[in-house]
Amino acid sequence: MLQLHDVIKTYSGKSEVTALDGINLSIAAGEMVAIMGPSGSGKSTLLNLLGGLDVPTSGRVLVAGKDLAGESEKERSLFRRTSVSYIFQAYHLMPTLKVSQNVALPLHLAGVPANEINRRVAEVLREVGLEAREKHLPDELSGGERQRVAIARALVTGAALLLADEPTGNLDTARGEEILNLLRAIHRERGTTIVMVTHDHHAASACERLIKLRDGRVEGDSLRGGGDR
Amino acid sequence: MRFLLRTLSLSYVRRNVAKTLLTLLGVVVGVATFSAIRSAQGTLVKGIRSTVDRVAGKSQLQITMEGGVPEEVQERVRELPGIRATSPVIEQIVVPERGELGSLLVIGIDLLGDREMRDYGFDGDDADLDDPLLFLAQPDSAIFTRQFADKAGLKTGQTISLRLPAGVKRVAARGLLSPKGFSEAFGGNLMVVDVYAAQELFGRGRRFDRLDVRLSEGTSVAQGSATLEKALGPAFRVETPARRGEQMERIVANFVSGFNVSSGFALSIGTFLIFNAFNVAVNRRRRDIGTLRALGATPRQVQLLFLAEALLIGVVGAAVGCLAGTALSQGFLRMMGQTTETVYGVTSSGAVHLPPGIVLESMVLGILASLAGAWGPALSASRIPPTEALAKGAFQARLPGRVAPRIAAGLAAFGCAILLALNPPFGGNQLILSVLLLGGAGLVLLVGPLSRALLQIFIPLATRFAPVSGRLSSDALLGNPRRTSGTVMAMALSLTFVLGFAGYMGSTKATMTRWMDDALTCDLFVRASANFSRPDFLFPGALREELLQVPGVRAVESYRGVRPLYQGQQILVNSIQVGPTMDRTRFEFIQGDAESMRRGVIREGMCTVSENFYRRFNLGVGQQVELVTPGGVVRIPIAAVLRDYSSDKGTVLLDRTRFLELWKDDRVDIFDVSVVPGADVGQVRDAVRAKLAGKFPALVSTRQEFTAEIGKAIDAFYALTRITVFLALLVAFLGIVTSLLISVAERTREIGILKALGGLPSQIARSIVLEALALALTGLVLALPAGNLFALFMEGAIAEYFTGWQMPHHYPWEILAQLLIALPLISAFAAWIPARQAGRLEITRAIEYE
Repeated sequence: MLQLHDVIKTYSGKSEVTALDGINLSIAAGEMVAIMGPSGSGKSTLLNLLGGLDVPTSGRVLVAGKDLAGESEKERSLFRRTSVSYIFQAYHLMPTLKVSQNVALPLHLAGVPANEINRRVAEVLREVGLEAREKHLPDELSGGERQRVAIARALVTGAALLLADEPTGNLDTARGEEILNLLRAIHRERGTTIVMVTHDHHAASACERLIKLRDGRVEGDSLRGGGDR
Repeated sequence: MRFLLRTLSLSYVRRNVAKTLLTLLGVVVGVATFSAIRSAQGTLVKGIRSTVDRVAGKSQLQITMEGGVPEEVQERVRELPGIRATSPVIEQIVVPERGELGSLLVIGIDLLGDREMRDYGFDGDDADLDDPLLFLAQPDSAIFTRQFADKAGLKTGQTISLRLPAGVKRVAARGLLSPKGFSEAFGGNLMVVDVYAAQELFGRGRRFDRLDVRLSEGTSVAQGSATLEKALGPAFRVETPARRGEQMERIVANFVSGFNVSSGFALSIGTFLIFNAFNVAVNRRRRDIGTLRALGATPRQVQLLFLAEALLIGVVGAAVGCLAGTALSQGFLRMMGQTTETVYGVTSSGAVHLPPGIVLESMVLGILASLAGAWGPALSASRIPPTEALAKGAFQARLPGRVAPRIAAGLAAFGCAILLALNPPFGGNQLILSVLLLGGAGLVLLVGPLSRALLQIFIPLATRFAPVSGRLSSDALLGNPRRTSGTVMAMALSLTFVLGFAGYMGSTKATMTRWMDDALTCDLFVRASANFSRPDFLFPGALREELLQVPGVRAVESYRGVRPLYQGQQILVNSIQVGPTMDRTRFEFIQGDAESMRRGVIREGMCTVSENFYRRFNLGVGQQVELVTPGGVVRIPIAAVLRDYSSDKGTVLLDRTRFLELWKDDRVDIFDVSVVPGADVGQVRDAVRAKLAGKFPALVSTRQEFTAEIGKAIDAFYALTRITVFLALLVAFLGIVTSLLISVAERTREIGILKALGGLPSQIARSIVLEALALALTGLVLALPAGNLFALFMEGAIAEYFTGWQMPHHYPWEILAQLLIALPLISAFAAWIPARQAGRLEITRAIEYE
């Protein structure tokens, strides 16, 4: 599903910063993977490359056999629209749109017919348990509910890859647990590949595989219950 | 896209009502000014033409002659073959004492013989004039249109006061015309009097303004025209009413087209405001853009979203602008009409309607202006990488490209503009447009790097004056070069216009004033009419002798000007007693000298020509001017070329004796009166007034009063400059407001942190005011050389092309002084809104702001 070959990402400015320094990774379809590491280890950069939000300075990022580094901005946008979905720590919901409108947004961007949008939105809102909140604005929801809206928005496109950037980072333990359960259920029931960046060991333990990064390099890659890959 | 517009865009509008209204205001101001000017122009020009057409009635040809058609010509014409009817006409614009009724076109016609020419359509019980003979017997008789009578509350038999050359006079309504055909001329502000009474009222002597001719059946216009031209000779002009309308239309159209600069300027202001507002919007919605991009929106979709918003704003703004334009247009028409009446002696009256063509044109231009303004911000929004859009912290727009090629391109464009202005391969509007486009493009390209360099000079000064606020404002200005240079660019461009126009206007006025000081040297001017180009009344020549009898009067010269066509241009032929005039006047000679002028003009019947005549027609000393006079074509040798600004088409000066010999018309426009040394000019003026009272209309002015009046006429001609100055100050104000609003939005987090660390609201407010002052000062410093170059271009290539005049450069110090006072005040006032917004920021929210 995901393959990274000798991926280097540097940011130029007054001084050059190497965020990823020769990453080689492979994640199979249907896996649920946690990426951990201290601040500045390159976790979010890695996630951005996997989602086609950014391109590597060198190396190859293959997602479902497609090398994103060689794709144009438009092709990467279309890839994000159909093949990948995101969950952010800060939710990134449109504050002025109602819950159902936020969830429907990627479908509108893709030009899906209105009745199909309504059907799919209702279905995912039911799945995340927010059917009663569809007319609310994000400001009227709790942190956990907002993250569930973000998850519903990620699910609605039916993308096979879900990238989550600190999905429980803004939540208390109970709400965080709810979100993790939801992600596990999605992984289990839909077979979605989930790659989650987190600082939280408890959140990481929800995943089958743990990749540790430090200074832009893979420091460790292990399966739940022990054993290196 | 509709979903995004309905949800994201609409919600942004709801949350930012004031900013949206400000954005709309940009389009509304632009479109309203544009549509008002265009519709007023159209109404004025078409009104003049339509008046000519409607007043012409069934006449197929019209005979005119410079100075008026002598009465006896009517008899000669009537007897020619192919002529069915002739009718004499006198036309004069007067103003009712109740100014709000608008100017009134007085038509003097022969009521007994005019029915062949015009359908009067009398209004009333018997649908005709009660008794034409009674009408003629009473000298105060007049016929009004029903439309005007209703407006003035006038009924048959009642009187109305009019300002006539001889003073205020009451005329009685003896009949009313129904609103159709003829009576719709001049927007219905029409008064019909007997032609012979009009001769008396308006000092036409035994002449008419024109003869209207109706041809017999079977006689073509070409045949009739040929017959008349052959019988009357070259001094008479035989034209169809349509052609005469076209000519008048052309004269006025040249003047009103000057307003196109102001309307184009207004639209560019709209574009600038949209640009600024969309910059604010892109900045504020950066996170939304990032989310959209992360969800798969393509760069094109993001760009289209902003452009669709601009389209909607353009449509709504343009529609409101058209409505506002309708309201403004009447004012523009009044202003333009007053000027054309003073300067050219023609005007139009009536209500302005926005024709569908102008509505469409305004809507399209408003929408295009909106899209053009939003294009840049929309493009930059689409280019924001999603990772950057979603990143926390202040968003700083990147430096626009590489600086060196930008400076090189700017210098090249500017250089081309200067070269083109110095060696114009073509003239007129084409030249103005090319130089303005190249110069404007050069300024736009150079303004970014130059403003940055200037700010780096200003900022240490500001920091020395206010260490904390100065530092904060410098960070804000230099940290976002795109926003800073955008605002400075708009200010520099508009101030360039102001300084350029003011410089040109100042040079024109200074040149004219200097020339008037040299040329208008007598003590009193006795005129019959306030109109410079189309006098309402002419004095009989014999009046000079009477004026010489007035105690205190030493000398009187009789001035008369006629405006014949020369090579298709309406030049001015001046005549005066040249000898005594030369004794008191300092002429500036381009060719020849005082001696050759004295000898040639006085003794040998030669003429002098003005410098612009010499340039325009390439005729100087040793050559001859071919003038069409009532006696035929006469070739007059040129004795000297003088600097003279009496006509923008060129002037020929003849001695009075030579003029009388050629034109056989001794009537006088102005008597130039010199008083005996030591006499009190005021007392002599009063004595002249007393002498003429009750006999002739007389405007007796001292030299100062007369030059002040001419100065006022020049000012009226440059009314558009005042509009431009106003619009430029509006740009300064709105530009600074929007720029600083973006600045405060970008620095919300920084302002929050400063406040948390103990920064006082006054320190933050001061930094915003300093930012505004730095923007204004930078714009002004850049505009100083650019405005000067623009003024030089206007005074040189443009003035020479349109008028042939050469004017010494006059720097607009007064306007600069006014700007130096007004700009800081406007800047500080404009900074007040964003400063208040910054002062009100709650620390906790501001720190959370991303």
